Amino acid sequence: MGLFAPFFLLGAIALAGPLYFHLLRRQTTTPRPFSSLMFFEPRTQASMRHRRLRYWRLLALRLALLALLALAFANPYVLRPAASVANQRLTLLVVDRSFSMRAGNRLAQAKAAALARLAEVTGRAQVMALGARLEVLTQPSSDHAALAAAIKGIEPGDERADFATLARGMRALGTAAPVALELFSDFKQSSMPASFSDLQMPGNIALAMHPVGEAGANWTIASVQAPARVWGSPKETKPARVEAVVAGYKTPAATLAISLRVNGQAVGTQRVTVPASGSARVVFDALAPPYGWSRGEVRIENAHDALPADDAADFTVQRADPARVLLVHSAGDARSPLYFSAALGANTGDAAYTVESVSAAAAAERTLANYAFVVLSDLPAIPPGFDANLAAYLRGGGGVLAAAGSAAGGAGILPALQGSENLASRPLTVGTSDGSHPATALLGDWPGIHFYFATRFAPGDARVVARLADQTPILMDRKVGEGHVLIFASGFDDLTNDFPVHPAFVAFVRESARYLAGEAAERSSSRLVDEYLTLRTAKEAGVGVEVTDPSGRRPFTLAQAASAQTLQMNQAGFYQLRLANGRQQVVAANPDRRESDLTPISSEDLALWRGGPPGGDAPAAAAGATPAPKIPVDLWWYVMLLLLAAAVAESIMAARYLSVRTDLESPAPVPLKEVV
Amino acid sequence: MPAISNESYLDPAVLGGISDLELIARTVVDGFVAGLHRSPDFGFSQEFAEYRAYAHGDDLRHVDWNVFARTERAYLKRYRGETNSQLTVLLDASRSMEFASRAPSKMDYARYLAASLLYLALHNQRDAAGVIVFDDEVRDFVRPSTRAGQLARLLGALARAKPQARTDFTKPMTHFQEFLHRRGLAVLISDFYAPPEEIVRTVEPLRFHGNEVVLFHVLDPAEMKPDLKDAALLVDLESDQRFEVTPDYARHEYRAKLDAHLADLSTRARAAGLDYFLLTTDRPLDRALREYLTLRHHRN
Repeated sequence: MGLFAPFFLLGAIALAGPLYFHLLRRQTTTPRPFSSLMFFEPRTQASMRHRRLRYWRLLALRLALLALLALAFANPYVLRPAASVANQRLTLLVVDRSFSMRAGNRLAQAKAAALARLAEVTGRAQVMALGARLEVLTQPSSDHAALAAAIKGIEPGDERADFATLARGMRALGTAAPVALELFSDFKQSSMPASFSDLQMPGNIALAMHPVGEAGANWTIASVQAPARVWGSPKETKPARVEAVVAGYKTPAATLAISLRVNGQAVGTQRVTVPASGSARVVFDALAPPYGWSRGEVRIENAHDALPADDAADFTVQRADPARVLLVHSAGDARSPLYFSAALGANTGDAAYTVESVSAAAAAERTLANYAFVVLSDLPAIPPGFDANLAAYLRGGGGVLAAAGSAAGGAGILPALQGSENLASRPLTVGTSDGSHPATALLGDWPGIHFYFATRFAPGDARVVARLADQTPILMDRKVGEGHVLIFASGFDDLTNDFPVHPAFVAFVRESARYLAGEAAERSSSRLVDEYLTLRTAKEAGVGVEVTDPSGRRPFTLAQAASAQTLQMNQAGFYQLRLANGRQQVVAANPDRRESDLTPISSEDLALWRGGPPGGDAPAAAAGATPAPKIPVDLWWYVMLLLLAAAVAESIMAARYLSVRTDLESPAPVPLKEVV
Repeated sequence: MPAISNESYLDPAVLGGISDLELIARTVVDGFVAGLHRSPDFGFSQEFAEYRAYAHGDDLRHVDWNVFARTERAYLKRYRGETNSQLTVLLDASRSMEFASRAPSKMDYARYLAASLLYLALHNQRDAAGVIVFDDEVRDFVRPSTRAGQLARLLGALARAKPQARTDFTKPMTHFQEFLHRRGLAVLISDFYAPPEEIVRTVEPLRFHGNEVVLFHVLDPAEMKPDLKDAALLVDLESDQRFEVTPDYARHEYRAKLDAHLADLSTRARAAGLDYFLLTTDRPLDRALREYLTLRHHRN
């Protein structure tokens, strides 16, 4: 007999409680008044002896109750020969359906082997499939027809299998009965977890391995680097670049033809020599997709390898017109538009933004809703009509970047002016900067930037993002309605500071533009199978999304479409989304390229996992390595039943002992009329 | 209505149902008298005893004029018990008197007893009667008298007596000697939870003025034989002291100690010329009345 959690036996310390209350603690009976204790003597010892005699059964029950409770938590078990519980034995047939099982006829072999093993099973069996998760396909059953149908119905997946997932699933089974785990897999090296201890399984599970497939040479498109967006007309912009890496596993040196396809049309083919078991880089400068979303593919045309499914990698690219930015400056200021436009253009070589520079007088005639954001550069005053337009634009979610240089005056959308500070004699640098703000995330502590002039604002409800060394707020973010105003308390003219000629200005302008335009950070155009896509933000709850998976099906029900926060991509191909914010998106999902390495696990590692000698037969090792294997049988239920019985007996006995005593009874008074 | 015997009027349990102390006293005394046989040992003031020659200063109202007419000599007609005696009841009102295992409590029993004695003395014997209520101090005092309304004053003093302190005979008895100037009968009613030697030493001086002193020792039956089924925590009513007591001890050692105490007190009291009577609250009151009359008779 043993204990699964012996530390819980420390709970037996609680046995001291009843002992104390029954034997040591003074009796707390109701005091009885008496005329005089002149002829009495205290006899506590005698009283205790008497009490012990009376309550020993109750004490024994209470001690048993606590002891059983501690024992139940300690989870006792007895070791019984496995043969004695053979009728409870469960055969678990697990078929690996990961992406690598698409190689050759591995999955067919695995299913055939599983069916053959099922035919030998006499007791209960259960079928599971191993992918990114351990999928339970049947409940434990003796119905071989249903079990065979479940095995035959297993389809290859695009997910990556990890044997740690299998071991975790086995640990979660929570059964003490013997389990024969029959695993049908290609046992590739890349499915092993980083830590070997993650493969540990409970002692009642005997692992039998059924390897399928042979290690073969395999080429794959290991990665594709393509822009997520391109801007402007395809005729006016140069083609974008696509870079791909071709890798080989157990492959000889070979020259491969790599093609780039966009929306099914081949736009380029290149030949590349890949060294033996090495990799090579391919560059296509020919990506000129049309407006909207395009589906791209980089493919090895002449691979002829073990796993053709990984010879292509998908990506998506979106073409759109560049966003317009309105830069409003004073009539005599030509420097600010120059620096700002140069910085914005330097950032986005593909021209994501076009800057329109206008004077303050002309700005009132522009429809601000047509602009991604507005830049106010050192305006002495804002015309009343334009000020009202700006306020409405901000309330509707627009963005404004306001630079307040030496000529700046107040405006309704800016914090209150408190004056200015000429720092020409003692230039200041930035003292503190809030790195959590998107506009300054890449600036660090603004190294080497000097300020010669700063306009003083009272921050009020604005968030101070950066301060000069003398604590003057230099960058503030004020929320107006749904929009934001980013206030830069100096100019963009290279006179009030040297920021515009500093490289950090480019990063500042780029990140500020993205922040004010409401763009998400740019991500790679392709994802991995099993990754999660964010479908909505917290503010977009209740708004429906539409998802179409690579096979053309809609994975969400109507209810799920209105509430799902994320989508896990479990197929390779293109997912078409209409997000909660109304935007269309096409996402490419590629299988994890670790599945492309078909190198099997070494026999030593397999033996270590199985717990037997290297090269030993797995089923034999599981079934007959020890002549009479014993398995632990849980006694928890029996202990709990005893605990329940003890609790009931204790309640009954305590109710008898602790009932109200009626030692003193007064006779009923005689009515007066009977006397008189 | 079921017939009620005279004896039942003297049962303390029956008396416990009556709230009026005067009614209790009248019930007891009338029942007692009705059941009393005309014994030569007992007499009442109305019964002729003897003639005595008139002496100067005697009240002319007591001269028997019939004898004077026949003999031309003035004789005073004397009755039994007409001895100008007085009865003083000393009632212990300490907290221990509050104890009751059954009705009535010792205090109530002592009240009934005192009321009956006082009623008998005033109404039947025409004696002066007074009462002193004490615990460790003199709490109430009604001077002995035969005046009209004396009974009401006495019974009022008895009704007001509330157990509230410890028993201490020393101080009250000192005061009693100041009150008891005339010869008479002093009846001390108490549970006497004190060393017998101290009790007798303290009470004995009451006899020095020619008083007859009677000790009525009132105890509850549960004090005589405590009935403990289990170990119990007993609380002293006077000192608030607490003991955990076992049934074995109460059954054997306590009874032995109490018996020794009673025997010692009785012996010492009689040796000092004090009359001692033990009463339990489940016993009728007639015994006490009988003792009183016996003593009074002997005094005359």
